[in-house]
Amino acid sequence: MLFEDILITILKAVDGERTISSPYHLIKGKKSGQTIQDIGYYKLHPYFGVMPKLEKKVYDKAVQKLFEQGFIITDGQVVRMTEASMALQTPVPLLNGWKYRGKEQLFMARLSLIVQSLSQIHQNQRAFDPVVIAEDIQQWVKKYLHKINYRDAESCRNFKTELAVSLSKVDVDAAGKRIVVQRLSGFKIGGLTWEQIAAAERLEVIDIKLQAIETLHAWMDVLETRQFPMMSELLDGVIQQSSLTETARRTEYYFRNGRSLEEIAALRGLKTSTIEDHFVELAMNDPGFDILAFMDGSLYSKIIAVSHSRNTKRLRDIKEAIPEAGYFQIRLALATKGETL
Amino acid sequence: MNLEKTLFDTYGFTSFRPGQKEVIEKILGGQDVIALLPTGMGKSMCYQLPAHLMEGSVLVVSPLLSLMQDQVAQLKKMGEKSVAAINSFLDPAERSNILHNLNTYRFIFISPEMLVQPYIKNKLMGLNISLLVADEAHCISQWGFDFRPDYLRIAEIMPALGHPRVLALTATATAKVTEEIKQYLKLSEPFIYTHPMDRKNIAYDIKKFENGKEKLEWLSTFVAANKGPGIIYAGTRKKSQELSNLLSLSGIRTAFYHGGMEHQDRIFVQQQFQNGELEWVCSTNAFGMGVHIPDIGHVIHFQVPTSIEGYVQEVGRAGRNGDPALATLLYAAGDEDLLANLVLDDLPTNHEIREVYQNEGDPAQLVDQGIVRETSLRVISYWKNHLSEQDTIIQIAQQKNEKIKQSAKIRKLINLESCVREYVLECFDQQLHIKPENCCINDHLNFADFLTHRETVDIQVLDTWESRLNAILPC
Repeated sequence: MLFEDILITILKAVDGERTISSPYHLIKGKKSGQTIQDIGYYKLHPYFGVMPKLEKKVYDKAVQKLFEQGFIITDGQVVRMTEASMALQTPVPLLNGWKYRGKEQLFMARLSLIVQSLSQIHQNQRAFDPVVIAEDIQQWVKKYLHKINYRDAESCRNFKTELAVSLSKVDVDAAGKRIVVQRLSGFKIGGLTWEQIAAAERLEVIDIKLQAIETLHAWMDVLETRQFPMMSELLDGVIQQSSLTETARRTEYYFRNGRSLEEIAALRGLKTSTIEDHFVELAMNDPGFDILAFMDGSLYSKIIAVSHSRNTKRLRDIKEAIPEAGYFQIRLALATKGETL
Repeated sequence: MNLEKTLFDTYGFTSFRPGQKEVIEKILGGQDVIALLPTGMGKSMCYQLPAHLMEGSVLVVSPLLSLMQDQVAQLKKMGEKSVAAINSFLDPAERSNILHNLNTYRFIFISPEMLVQPYIKNKLMGLNISLLVADEAHCISQWGFDFRPDYLRIAEIMPALGHPRVLALTATATAKVTEEIKQYLKLSEPFIYTHPMDRKNIAYDIKKFENGKEKLEWLSTFVAANKGPGIIYAGTRKKSQELSNLLSLSGIRTAFYHGGMEHQDRIFVQQQFQNGELEWVCSTNAFGMGVHIPDIGHVIHFQVPTSIEGYVQEVGRAGRNGDPALATLLYAAGDEDLLANLVLDDLPTNHEIREVYQNEGDPAQLVDQGIVRETSLRVISYWKNHLSEQDTIIQIAQQKNEKIKQSAKIRKLINLESCVREYVLECFDQQLHIKPENCCINDHLNFADFLTHRETVDIQVLDTWESRLNAILPC
């Protein structure tokens, strides 16, 4: 999947309802109420926070290209797709940003250091410059290596076999796997920089980075099946137990203990609007969320019906049709949309 | 005490390198030391060994994060386990863990700005610090080419630490800078060790061109015909990238390196260069620290350096193994304009000084809004605590003058008709006693002794991931 594909997929989903910067916030993983709730409304989970370090100028350049190709146009505040881009087929993403939250970097760092260590040690190099300098990762890898009895040639072979077999099961094309393996290093073999890989693959750096991330996500999905005991171990602490943001989790805790929205805001010293954002996030993530605590069933059905019939998720449009509904209620309802009550 | 035995028992080395033993003896004798040792001459051994012979911890103040990380890595590589690094990049858990166990470490590395944080200062006060090391001590000099105001804070903390012995280390310092180190660190009678700056196996060449195009053509031809490994220093990040892309097109195995790249990529370039996978690295002055490659045969300055000190440090990365190495400085008409810009660019402007002094909120906002540059803010914030706005403006103006003087020295170097080696040494107040046979472009230089014909290499075809994995893990 190329960066352009991501942009088109996201912009298709929010067609005519969001500004041109909404994909940027989503890809960067901005934890604002708006971004979080859009993920639920538009089912954009795969793309959340896939590139936390995405630079605005790189993003702007990619967007500019879409304008120039006639794939998107602006319409007042919002951005719209054109016929040309609606016809485009984008690949199904193997990304899972919402689940992995950038933790693929932790997985990759561990893998890099393990592979480098095994490579050096099994070619009789005792001292070498570690490719990862973060202390906590070094400690983790040290423990891991001892646990797998790393000096044993058999153990090295087993690790390599698990690595190769699990990677071969990953459902991305060969380029994605090649990129990830080019980022590994060992005795007398240096890792390749993003620029070097991009030059060889004749792509932009951002496309290379995205393919690496997608490959890692898909690889971690394979490893989660637990058929590869040595490799699966690398997922230790990588997968978020809950997909809620930390702050929403705290709000949830108070809510479960019987506190009202206003009480939580006061207790936490936050604005009620912020707590509302948290509830929207909860509604989106928790299938068991009790929406009837905030509105009666008929109002909920009405909101969903209007959203469907007018094919819109814009709060203002829905509010116009149902003046008695509050904005917070509309957001909550939309967040659970698709779930039966 | 037999220092050689300790050296062998601890690190497995059979002998000291020049200067190390003298410095170590003075430290153990209780004296403060300023040691001027060229990079690659084992500066760190000067505090490593004493750490094994004295009670308590050695506190190393290191001005640059990347340098600190490299030193910690090198120490660990040599088998030292008891090493901690305190800097602003630690996450809270790591930080609290380190601070909690601070008294158990033999080596504690710290950045100058952390040194004066009250909480950390308190922690340090509870320790028995046997030796305080000011690494890259020339950074303390406001006249130096690499002034870091935070470094002046070392003096502030000395009383709290009970005035431990001090070892000031630097690779480059003029007599003036040495005097300043002495003054700022309040060292009354330090032992000053000065290693001869001259590197006999490095010869100096200066090439002049009518314009930039000719210069570039010369470079392409030169690297296509002659064997590396070598470093090509460029003045800017953009230039380093351009040069690398250009040379790659003609089949040279090269990569660029600069401070704007992500950390992992910088490590990869170092790995490749170390492995001989690259012939040339096109780089800004960011490349060098943490690079331990003995057989670099060439250092080419594609653009004129901004100071003699910087030039000598960069040149000094060549020929660490003692083999003949060539330093080539390229100059094209008009380069001095670029030089002037580069030299003065990193100093705060009067406008920036005013903004920071008049700002009452969070000064970091000024950086976010693009009103003040980050480097400027660092310098001005320091002076704001010590001087009035007017005096800071004067202070910066003086620094500006000094920088102009430094670039005048470079200008003189370019137009030199006499011996380059002698001139460079003169800039460090040293004299040349013995001239090597191959000296410099103005005083005998037989290029044949430095050039090896380059074998062309096939550009690699794209590997499959399986074959690359097999190569990395042939087990």
